[in-house]
Amino acid sequence: MEDSHLAPPDSTPSAAGSDATLQRKHAAMLERLSNLHQSRVAQKPNSETDSIQSFLNRFTESKLSIESQLSRISQTSSSSYPSNSPKPELENVAVSISTLEKLVAESSYLLPSYEVRTCLKTISDLKQSLDDVTSRVIPKKKFSFKNKKKAASAIYSIPPPPQSDVVNEESDELPKLGSENVGFVSPGFRAKENEVLVKEFNRDFEIGEFTLSDLKGCEVRLKGCLRAFFVNKLKDCKVFVGPVFGSVLIEEVEGCVFVLASHQIRIHNAKKCDFYLRVRSRPIIEDSNGVRFGPYCLRYDGIEKDLEEANLSEETGNWANVDDFRWLRAVQSPNWSVLPENDRVEMVHIS
Amino acid sequence: MGLLSIIRKIKRKEKEMRILMVGLDNSGKTTIVLKINGEDTSVISPTLGFNIKTIAYQKYALNIWDVGGQKTIRSYWRNYFEQTDGLVWVVDSSDLRRLDDCKYELHNLLKEERLSGASLLIFANKQDIQGSLSPDEIAKVLNLEAMDKSRHWRIVGCSAYTGEGLLEGFDWLVQDIASRIYMLD
Ligand SMILES: Nc1nc2c(ncn2[C@@H]2O[C@H](COP(=O)(O)OP(=O)(O)O)[C@@H](O)[C@H]2O)c(=O)[nH]1
Ligand SMILES: [Mg+2]
Repeated sequence: MEDSHLAPPDSTPSAAGSDATLQRKHAAMLERLSNLHQSRVAQKPNSETDSIQSFLNRFTESKLSIESQLSRISQTSSSSYPSNSPKPELENVAVSISTLEKLVAESSYLLPSYEVRTCLKTISDLKQSLDDVTSRVIPKKKFSFKNKKKAASAIYSIPPPPQSDVVNEESDELPKLGSENVGFVSPGFRAKENEVLVKEFNRDFEIGEFTLSDLKGCEVRLKGCLRAFFVNKLKDCKVFVGPVFGSVLIEEVEGCVFVLASHQIRIHNAKKCDFYLRVRSRPIIEDSNGVRFGPYCLRYDGIEKDLEEANLSEETGNWANVDDFRWLRAVQSPNWSVLPENDRVEMVHIS
Repeated sequence: MGLLSIIRKIKRKEKEMRILMVGLDNSGKTTIVLKINGEDTSVISPTLGFNIKTIAYQKYALNIWDVGGQKTIRSYWRNYFEQTDGLVWVVDSSDLRRLDDCKYELHNLLKEERLSGASLLIFANKQDIQGSLSPDEIAKVLNLEAMDKSRHWRIVGCSAYTGEGLLEGFDWLVQDIASRIYMLD
């Protein structure tokens, strides 16, 4: 148990020490509150007000320091950069902001909701200024169009697969759901190697979720709309999917190409994959590296209508707004990149 | 535990309830909160960190904490436990593969001393998706019957997409919390 007799620590702990400090503060606060109650002094608990005050002081102090760091970075940029890269400093700021965010989370139980909201707003403003400063001092290269000429054979038209290889049926095998869950099977393709897997979802039929799991060297073509799409353990596969009117969850994939349109996309544990996406919200990656992103490029008869039905006919540009949940936001994550135009496939026709 | 209720009484000026939304990522937590609050749910980005919403519900102010569910930050959940009156555990009923993960995280969470007094609402979400498990099936898979007998809990099927079931769930949760906290005053 925590030692509740510790005196409150001094008010300027290092970032690394703030956890322990907060715990001690918390213990101290609990004790103060209980004393308060026992003596029945309080309708208006002063000590609670005190700790709120000291939190707010710390918060403000840290906020000011972040702001002045940011303005210093943006001022020195013109003169001394790029000979002197601002990246490390920006990363420091990013760390300070996330430390501050954590502080708010940890202290939130003692803060009135108004203060919590204000602090959260401040943090999101700080992140925004950080992004602004970053894009000013580190010019983005990724959208320059220096290399206008297109790759010669950009049209990537896939011939219909030889009839014999086509697997049109879903796998009979039970998915491994963990010992107790066996019996519940979701539709999908599972445990295949070097096959072409094709499925067309009937428009008049209520469509649900679909799963791809344990595939190696396969090509998957799914036409029509889906509600939810799960992908798990794929290696060296090509996956072409019509609009998903909902979310896509991708885990443990390597060396694959995905062409997907959906409302949300979450990518976990992906290595060396290319994603051609259309998404209504920002795609996220977590524990991934070597992943590249380009715009959706799928064609089949009737896809326009399907996209419209799924509310995905508009290109949002979000395919390039990837958030790496493992990376502090200031500087471009090293784990993903925009596919260079010359390396992109232009259109994928499945028929 | 005694201490907690003391803090609760001191802090509460209005009839406020603090509710924590948890569950694996992609289960629909953010969508549920926005839907309950009558907000647009057409574009939702995955939650990094957490969102807080104060919603007037019946005669209470619900302070709802919507915490990101991705693996990276599950270990931070404990930062939000203090003073939680109600827990909403959201399950994606169509994500059969991760049900084991879901079960593990739920039972892990319930071990938390600081949450021992909190009412637990389990939303078996995404019932609109064909092939989703029913609330009964979810209850079986998650082994809810094995929970501590003192826990107030209930499972409700819902769809954040259509809104079905959401009010039923929140009505139960708010009533249950109210009967524990406010009726006693
Ligand atoms: N079909 C369907 N999709 C849902 C439902 N609830 C949420 N979703 C979708 O599931 C995805 C994840 O939702 P989100 O609220 O971000 O999940 P969170 O990570 O738990 O906050 C989004 O694409 C939502 O549109 C539901 O009841 N039915
Ligand atoms: Mg969320």
